[in-house]
Amino acid sequence: MREARPFRPWKESPRLVEHPRRDRTELWTRTAAAPPAVYGERWSDAPGGPYRTFDPMRAKLAAAIVRGWEGDLPAERERWLYLGAASGTTASHVADLVGPDGAVYAVERSLRPFARLLALGERWPGLLPVLGDAREPRSYSALVPPADGLYADIAQPDQIAIVLSNARLLLRGAGAPVLIALKTASMGRDASAPEHLRRAEGELEPVLALERSVKLDPFHRGHYLVGGRARAALFDDGPRPRARRPPERSRGPRRS
Amino acid sequence: MEPAVVVARGPRLFLLRPGAERPVAFAARPSEEDGASSDLAVPEGLVTALAAVPPDTPLRIVDPAVAPSLVEALERPVALATDSEAHRARARVPAEDPAEERTFVLAVGRARLRAALRAPEEVLVTLAREEERVERALGREERAAESFLAGPVPTLARYATLWEELRAHLTEHHDRLVATLEEAARAVAPNLSAVVGERVAARLIAAAGSLDTLARLRAPRLQLLGSRRRPSPERGPRFGVIYRAARMGDVPIDRRAAYARSLAALAAIAVRADATTHADLARLLTARRDRRIEQLRRRGR
Repeated sequence: MREARPFRPWKESPRLVEHPRRDRTELWTRTAAAPPAVYGERWSDAPGGPYRTFDPMRAKLAAAIVRGWEGDLPAERERWLYLGAASGTTASHVADLVGPDGAVYAVERSLRPFARLLALGERWPGLLPVLGDAREPRSYSALVPPADGLYADIAQPDQIAIVLSNARLLLRGAGAPVLIALKTASMGRDASAPEHLRRAEGELEPVLALERSVKLDPFHRGHYLVGGRARAALFDDGPRPRARRPPERSRGPRRS
Repeated sequence: MEPAVVVARGPRLFLLRPGAERPVAFAARPSEEDGASSDLAVPEGLVTALAAVPPDTPLRIVDPAVAPSLVEALERPVALATDSEAHRARARVPAEDPAEERTFVLAVGRARLRAALRAPEEVLVTLAREEERVERALGREERAAESFLAGPVPTLARYATLWEELRAHLTEHHDRLVATLEEAARAVAPNLSAVVGERVAARLIAAAGSLDTLARLRAPRLQLLGSRRRPSPERGPRFGVIYRAARMGDVPIDRRAAYARSLAALAAIAVRADATTHADLARLLTARRDRRIEQLRRRGR
């Protein structure tokens, strides 16, 4: 006989549920949107639903939860700033987590992914697409109210500086969580992945009360989830360098 | 001295005066659709209110898009707010109605996207990708036609005729697309088009994403743009889309990598001129290119 496999809240969260399968436990988010699926994810109409699979292979945030992230997550009714939303695969799940009464301000710079993100935003409660460059938070600061949290998935060499310049201007204040999906492969080849993580943590430590960072292997190789709650020091003015595009890095000798 | 701060939120500009309890709101945009223009119109009421601010109170503004027009209207120094000033000012702006806010953000998104897509460069990128796709489709159809054996069967022969018509249409469609693309490429990047040919110029720009990003690349990177093989020190790729560049066919096969290097260097110069100075280097660069081809041919024997 097949026993019923329930959807039950993940750590008492109302919008994130776990669903035990034979070999693993799946994560699902409760959505307020209607089908069709965004990127081919599975939907379920189980009681309390509809739910959508939150696949760790697709979303770094899901991978971080599976790998034991203990810090804050987007919670119901919160307003989150999402940097690097691309076409909205993970952003739609973050919008599910904050629910229809929250909001996700999804910033994307490239036009073609943004066109898809915009189409998604038109039908997805709580998802607000913003066309803008995360390097220039002032260019979209008028569209984003003080945010309760920040999630960044921007694969850039200076991603930490970009995130901090956004957090300083757009976060609500001390105590608001900042989550960074760190892609070490974009940070240069002069250091190994753990070395890059240490450097990033060193940069963040003065302004964030860091949680234990989580390695996203094997779902996303060379990625980490780093973050924690903002300290009051983040919002002080100081002689800080502006986020700027670093010179293109040489990638070693090449024969042609 | 506490400054007076102007901060934009949604369709409104807020003035926060030191000492004042509540910020004063001014409607900044006449309509939703207008919200996209990066040049915000400064409302008259705000100018009057700012003129009433005592001269010893410094003025700060959060949104740099507003600053130039405000300075013009005010004849008084207005500085960009520091991050902490901006942060404090933003916290004092009252919350918006969620439904109204959502409508506004979506409208701005639509308008910004429309405005960005109007740029000739974006049109070129779209055309280049489309041309690449149609070219692949055409190649596939023609290869398939070669291996299609109809024989003396009327049904198959009829089908083959219809299919041939389709291919003829597709060829014509492709030719027209290429003509449009070449015109667009010549308009956006005249120098680059002259050096490597219009189609390759368009593909280079599409691969880089924009003319500006392409202009920032160094020659070796430009040479490999569009290549599928992973760069490695042992056996990296030698060509990207540049393999289909103008006059590549005139170079002996074993000298093509050398030609690609030289051509990439010339193309890098050309694209920088196109992106920045708009100088006409076409004749100079093509002359150098042709001289290099002659050299390679002589040495190739």
